Amino acid sequence: MKTFYVNARYLIVPLMTIATIFGIFLGNNFVWLGVILFGFNTIIDTLTKDIHLRADFDEDGNSFGIKKFQYAVMYLMLPTFIVLQIILAWRLFHYTSAYPIEVLSLFGITYQSGISGINLIGATLSAGLWAGLGIIYGHELSHNRKEGFFISRLIMSLSGASHFTYAHVYNHHLDLGHEDDPATAPRGRNVYHHAWLSHVGQSKYSFDLERDKLKKQRKSFFSLSNKWIIGYLYSLPSIIIFVWAGGVIGILSLLVVWVISNFLLEALNFMGHYGLIREHGKPVEHRHSWDNDNVFTSWFFIEIGRQGDHHVRGETYFWELDDVDAPNYGIGYFSLFVLTLIPPLFRKFTKELLEDWDRNKATDSERKIAHQIGNL
Amino acid sequence: MFNLFKKKAKFYSAKILNNDKEFKVSKGKNLLAAALDDGINWPHKCRVGSCGSCKYKLIKGKISPDIDFGYVLSFDELNDGYALACQSSLKSDVEVEIELKK
Repeated sequence: MKTFYVNARYLIVPLMTIATIFGIFLGNNFVWLGVILFGFNTIIDTLTKDIHLRADFDEDGNSFGIKKFQYAVMYLMLPTFIVLQIILAWRLFHYTSAYPIEVLSLFGITYQSGISGINLIGATLSAGLWAGLGIIYGHELSHNRKEGFFISRLIMSLSGASHFTYAHVYNHHLDLGHEDDPATAPRGRNVYHHAWLSHVGQSKYSFDLERDKLKKQRKSFFSLSNKWIIGYLYSLPSIIIFVWAGGVIGILSLLVVWVISNFLLEALNFMGHYGLIREHGKPVEHRHSWDNDNVFTSWFFIEIGRQGDHHVRGETYFWELDDVDAPNYGIGYFSLFVLTLIPPLFRKFTKELLEDWDRNKATDSERKIAHQIGNL
Repeated sequence: MFNLFKKKAKFYSAKILNNDKEFKVSKGKNLLAAALDDGINWPHKCRVGSCGSCKYKLIKGKISPDIDFGYVLSFDELNDGYALACQSSLKSDVEVEIELKK
């Protein structure tokens, strides 16, 4: 029973993504289901902010997580996200082809054919939010073996961000807490500015990484071995299907999906290390990441909020990550995300937390750097 | 039903030639994690294959790289049989050389 409970609790995102797809298929106001679920999750996350659970192990210290099951779910998220894009493209086709709005039936399921402009916006927002929330699988798989790494690249390419997989492993995990890491937000930066800088910075890092690798291998930059170029080519099918289904409106819709999903990804990066400082070359320690480990955040985001443990034991499966006394926001990702959207509120919320970090967790050298930066 | 997914444990052995140490590496575990579990002071930092601190020289045996070592190791190092322990899955018993931390 415990094994079932530990493994089933990580199915919230897959189930809600499927519900979002089904909502877009049903049409009418159901297309907004993805947006409504996002709001619902924010409420649940806020209400459960004080419930914190540790990772579950048996008396011999073995995890209850079943690797093959969890991997099967993560791999299946790739076709799920593809279906999410296809169903949105299908709705775009209805809109641009001016399908009459009428009730039809398919396999005994009643749905609304055709779509209004306002509901097309709802379908696009729903798809964007869930494509963005699904990026957690791209992150988890980026740390795993060949086939997992490849699936991660494909999942990220659905959001036009396949550069993330290389930049995350080779740049972020090596340089976090330092200015060499574009994904670490320094004190005073807001999430909007960070999203842009981090996205471009990680893509540039991946570009440089490939350029240097190919130079060492005496190959041309324009080579099939260039993972930066190939990664962006993986996004071509999405572009083609959206152009085919909706022309200019299709491109606009895909852009909205990509902007939302990348913004959510960069918001996670922003929250994960905001304002924390590490001296260049010093080991990554638990104190260099913020934990978000209330129960709903942990289960929904497949423990991605246990950043402290993840960054010290990067090879550890998500279901084995634990509380390591890293700095902790004390609230979950959904609630914190709302705060990040209002930068003055976020800075007010983090001011005391960062002062505490400076006093009680930072080394003398880190404290000195913090003092030079100021900007709380 | 979940018991269907459980697999039998399988081990390979890893021998550090220049330090006369030997340890078991269970299937599914990388070389570095197995060494650290065994109390061996194997140098490491990032554990995700980006820093190169856990570099070792493979003298005998077969491994499967979990990621492309070409981003971290030089061409010469790759030709000389160097690999990253945190991204090495064993395919046979191995013998390696490494400078352990004191």
